[in-house]
Amino acid sequence: MIPGIGTLTQDTLWCFSQVKGTIEIGTTEDVPCFPFAFCHDCKFPEACPDMQNSNVLPSGLLPSGQNKLGPWCSPTGSPAPLSCETGCGEGSWILVCRLLVPTQVSLLSMEEDIDTRKINNSFLRDHSYATEADIISTVEFNHTGELLATGDKGGRVVIFQREQESKNQIHRRGEYNVYSTFQSHEPEFDYLKSLEIEEKINKIRWLPQQNAAYFLLSTNDKTVKLWKVSERDKRPEGYNLKDEEGRLRDPATITTLRVPVLRPMDLMVEATPRRVFANAHTYHINSISVNSDYETYMSADDLRINLWNFEITNQSFNIVDIKPANMEELTEVITAAEFHPHHCNTFVYSSSKGTIRLCDMRASALCDRHTKFFEEPEDPSNRSFFSEIISSISDVKFSHSGRYIMTRDYLTVKVWDLNMENRPIETYQVHDYLRSKLCSLYENDCIFDKFECVWNGSDSVIMTGSYNNFFRMFDRNTKRDVTLEASRENSKPRAILKPRKVCVGGKRRKDEISVDSLDFSKKILHTAWHPSENIIAVAATNNLYIFQDKVN
Amino acid sequence: MEVQKEAQRIMTLSVWKMYHSRMQRGGLRLHRSLQLSLVMRSARELYLSAKVEALEPEVSLPPACPSDLRLHPPREVESTVETATADGEQPSPEPMDTQEAPTAEEIPAYSAPRPAKVSRKRRSSSLRDGGDAGLVPSKKARLEEKEEEEGLSSEVADRLQPPPAQAEGAFPNLARVLQRRFSGLLNCSPAAPPTAPPACEAKPACRPADSMLNVLVRTVVAF
Repeated sequence: MIPGIGTLTQDTLWCFSQVKGTIEIGTTEDVPCFPFAFCHDCKFPEACPDMQNSNVLPSGLLPSGQNKLGPWCSPTGSPAPLSCETGCGEGSWILVCRLLVPTQVSLLSMEEDIDTRKINNSFLRDHSYATEADIISTVEFNHTGELLATGDKGGRVVIFQREQESKNQIHRRGEYNVYSTFQSHEPEFDYLKSLEIEEKINKIRWLPQQNAAYFLLSTNDKTVKLWKVSERDKRPEGYNLKDEEGRLRDPATITTLRVPVLRPMDLMVEATPRRVFANAHTYHINSISVNSDYETYMSADDLRINLWNFEITNQSFNIVDIKPANMEELTEVITAAEFHPHHCNTFVYSSSKGTIRLCDMRASALCDRHTKFFEEPEDPSNRSFFSEIISSISDVKFSHSGRYIMTRDYLTVKVWDLNMENRPIETYQVHDYLRSKLCSLYENDCIFDKFECVWNGSDSVIMTGSYNNFFRMFDRNTKRDVTLEASRENSKPRAILKPRKVCVGGKRRKDEISVDSLDFSKKILHTAWHPSENIIAVAATNNLYIFQDKVN
Repeated sequence: MEVQKEAQRIMTLSVWKMYHSRMQRGGLRLHRSLQLSLVMRSARELYLSAKVEALEPEVSLPPACPSDLRLHPPREVESTVETATADGEQPSPEPMDTQEAPTAEEIPAYSAPRPAKVSRKRRSSSLRDGGDAGLVPSKKARLEEKEEEEGLSSEVADRLQPPPAQAEGAFPNLARVLQRRFSGLLNCSPAAPPTAPPACEAKPACRPADSMLNVLVRTVVAF
């Protein structure tokens, strides 16, 4: 087995390795997962965005006088995720179970006594319902592939670490286990604009490892944070002035002098925010990218790109600004940006019009004039009502070699050679059968989905997600492609993934799925590929699937 | 007719989406708003061109299927029309609209007090089904619709100049016919409102939303 070289389809067999996440119990597809709590006396019913999606309960379960049912929200009126660990939101809540009929309704409040709260917490932990806060919003391997980070809609970051391969299990490669979990971003409120700032983690980017600690950047819509993840396995013991519990000792009782020694302890992984880069973006941040000089990084929002130094948090350089003087003349926005993997002066950014601009920071301080402009002339036969929307690029990625860039729009993945601007060198149809369904996809908002794309370690295979929990891989050398599915049914250890096929029309063969049966609520937007091996991480809503190629 | 209905439905849908996006957590998304306004504009132009076609029954045109709406001449035309001209042509029915610039940024500020009022009325169903909304009487809507009609007609008039230059495409006859019947079109515009109740139906029935639609339409025009 040659790591990283995928000769795909018939040669590479992908098999299931692990799945992480909560199991959906009793949730239907179209209802957002707020199954079991509602506001007791909500002061902001009009501001509540999900009042229409209230769940129906038998009338006997509602306390008298309460006739409104909605998802829980904080006293400020903004929906707050209910985390299974704490079990509590803010303010006063009433917890009602959707599946089991409770004999009594418990009141969770800040004034509640600890015991009742503990009971309710354990109740929540036993039945881990899928909540919207658990939806994974970004996945990223670090540079060695040892760590895998995921960010979710609730602002949490979970880092998995690959276990050391034991000599006993030669045939099983290391599994990924939880290494650290921390709350990266909290919901904030912009008082000036009366807007809530979502805590959803939009992107995570790892820094290359330079010492024993790991560093990563995580960002929500407005703020980028640099997190340090470090291990602690020794603890100083034998202080003179305080005892083992940390309480100060009475100086009169100290008769001897000793030197504290470091004693081993249980491994503790702690994450601390080392830098917070805030207040630099008016619009929503969609990308961050670490420069190859490891000293700077950029953050891009809809109209501007800022260059930061890791050490300086109160200043940033604006290097791209496409905001028109008159907002009425706005025609395109920035959708993604990335630094070149080797040249620290070069970066690209994609636009909603389907164009990519490559800029050189040596040319000028403000890179409004591009160095290269990549645009494919539109195929007039494909012109349709929604052409502009589906040509918007949702992701742009440099190849590891730095020679190519890959872009993802709604229906295709394109590979561009940096030396040729007038058209891509390769175009792959991801789900062209959706071209005739654009109107329905516009109705259910799926046409706005932003899919990401990834390269494998050797730049020979590219991967991207689709609907129905399908994801696609394209081998650039053999021109073969495969569609695989991330589902619980295929989740037996080392079970080989069977290629799936979508039948477009006419007769449907066995094992094929017709376009109309596709589940558009199950979409794979975020995937990641190990930098050197054939291990992939696929985020399917609130579950993370890890697949490996079959080891003979 | 199918095309017209479909375009109207998409317009209504886009308005509803724009509205709804304001109430989402995280505030107004610029990219989403831009995309919605693009669709809105395309739907509007398709609707207009379909309406113009409907006034010319003797010209036989290839049918456009609703699910795959292709618009060659309107798209070519639209690219040459200055948005400033279009803006100038459209009269502002209400003083409220002239006071604010229809920018994507300012709309949330303008409509911040609005969602509280409007969301109480379950408008999603009425917006989707354009036919029912027309049953609710609204004097104001009719007034605005008349003015809007004139505004739209003048826009159509604007677009009639460029078509001869781009007579190629799928509808060369349409372009020539439009040019020929230009004055006829302007003359029969006051009579147009009775034949265009769909425009009224497309608009929401309640008062604040009418201005909202106008604002949004102006935004679309601006884009």
